[in-house]
Amino acid sequence: MRASFAKAAAAGDEAPLYFYSHLFLSHPEARKLFPVSMAHQRDRLFQALGDVMEYVDDLDRLVPILQELGRDHRKFGTVAAHYPAVGASLIATLRHFDHQWNPALEQSWAEAYGVVAQVMIEAAEAGADQPPWWDADVVTHERRTIDTAVMWLRPRPEFPYRAGQSVSLESDVRPKLWRYYSPANAPRPDGLMEIHVRAYDGGPVSTALVRRVGPGDVLRLGPPMGHIAFDPDSDRDLLLVAGGTGLAPLKAVVDHVARYGPARRVDLYVGSRTEERIYDRVDLERMAGEHPWLTVTFAVSGDDLSPLEQGDVGEVVVRHGPWSSRDVYVAGPAAMVEDTTTRLVKDGVRPERIRSEVFAPSRLGPSLDGEVTE
Amino acid sequence: MTADEYGQARAGRRLTPGDVRNVQFARATMLRPGYNDVEVDRFLDRMAEELAQLHAEKAELRDEVHVLRDQVAGAAAVEPPSDQAVRILATAQQTADGYVAEAEDFSRQMTADARAQYEEQLRRAKESAGEIIHAAQEAAARMVGGAPAVPAEGGSGGERTTQELEDQVAYLKAFAQACRVQLRAYLEALLTDVESEWGRADPGSLPQAPIRATSHRPEVSRNVAREVPLDDSTSERPAVAKGEGAEVATRRRGS
Repeated sequence: MRASFAKAAAAGDEAPLYFYSHLFLSHPEARKLFPVSMAHQRDRLFQALGDVMEYVDDLDRLVPILQELGRDHRKFGTVAAHYPAVGASLIATLRHFDHQWNPALEQSWAEAYGVVAQVMIEAAEAGADQPPWWDADVVTHERRTIDTAVMWLRPRPEFPYRAGQSVSLESDVRPKLWRYYSPANAPRPDGLMEIHVRAYDGGPVSTALVRRVGPGDVLRLGPPMGHIAFDPDSDRDLLLVAGGTGLAPLKAVVDHVARYGPARRVDLYVGSRTEERIYDRVDLERMAGEHPWLTVTFAVSGDDLSPLEQGDVGEVVVRHGPWSSRDVYVAGPAAMVEDTTTRLVKDGVRPERIRSEVFAPSRLGPSLDGEVTE
Repeated sequence: MTADEYGQARAGRRLTPGDVRNVQFARATMLRPGYNDVEVDRFLDRMAEELAQLHAEKAELRDEVHVLRDQVAGAAAVEPPSDQAVRILATAQQTADGYVAEAEDFSRQMTADARAQYEEQLRRAKESAGEIIHAAQEAAARMVGGAPAVPAEGGSGGERTTQELEDQVAYLKAFAQACRVQLRAYLEALLTDVESEWGRADPGSLPQAPIRATSHRPEVSRNVAREVPLDDSTSERPAVAKGEGAEVATRRRGS
């Protein structure tokens, strides 16, 4: 089986191209579950299959992954009846690319796929007490800078999540393109949720969320995913370092401490290139004013005229150290996360105390490892 | 056939309606009139067995019919598409993907250019605002510096000096107002410029355009553009993409 998969994988884009064309010709109704451009979808399919093949001998590992996938696929509108169709097209694809295909191989693949599908379907059914997705009304939408917006959503029905988690989000303006965002607040009694969006150049979803979505629009949310592994029960003091919209999950952590405790000192550093780009300054300063345990420091790396702290945020953080007694959370662009982590470790912070999350332009969703990655 | 004959045949042959209709039981002994009850009982047993078997077979067949019926329905719906059809659809999909990627890349370049221009002009505006303020401060210093010279000029005394200072304050206020107005006009012009640049990059997003009016335009997916070589000058994306790749790789290794 591995050999025949390797043959299909060696065909590169041809194999998933064949697979999806075969699927859509056999089941035209499945086409509407996918976005217009399938290029990325094709990469993801074989990536996922490759991961399944890799873990196929390690069921303890594979089964939870498949269960998660099965649950998450509900938001795409996937139902049990779709699975045999996918299986048939998958086998047709493998057959097409394997010149030594034989009935025995076909039988093994059919059985293996049957097991995978069954695990996913059962997980999806077990999750049926939760809605497959949540509708969320945009309550307010505020453009803070030329490319950043902060909006408040009201999910229906109640949307259970924890501070630091991510949710996938889809808009009718860009159907079938799901992107991950982190709520910037801990769960509130009124259920409202704050979302920070930065429009990336040419990014279809982020630009639409910043410039085309407004109050009254309805977005869809997928189930929340484990993410920046915030440990709410530790009572160690916190150091939070944010770059760009990586601020969102860290602001949620601050909000969590404010709402639910335990009492701990929190130092939040927010890095930005220029002063104008600090999009949430007013609210952060308000919080710092309300909570004596919270300090907020802004740093700019490319704005000589600004009176704020000068330098890369990691540099500024270390300048104010030492932080060796803290739980540290870092979220932002890859370069910033790497730089900050390196500096902190060099400065004596134990690496296991540092948890980080990279905010990349297209956060398309978790890989099979459960990590949200590019 | 006699009941006994029937009993012997039971292992090999099914009971037919004719068998039942024509069955003959032997006469019993003189002491007990009627049929031989052993034979009758045996026959009834056999009948019961036969009926049970028929029922079971019937159920089996019914299931089989269901399965076959489903298979027929499934087979009719899923006629495997020909390789030629698959190729045609694949080509069409690739063409669509190419268009989407191109549109997205164009939008990316336009937005990046617009952003660069916006930041450059904002920087210049800040600089020139700084210069204006600086010039105003110098002018004020000169006037204040000039004031002590006034009394030396003639005998009008302190009253005239106060009058002059008030004039100067009024003049400075007017000057500051003029500066502000000019600066605002300049910044607004910049903003319009940036909006129109952005508008060219993403016409649907301009505030004055109806929000849904352009939703029919081709869907763009950012990932696609990865396949299109990026012009080095357009953005910092290649560097970012590299970083992300490294991050993913690290995680996967760590897992």
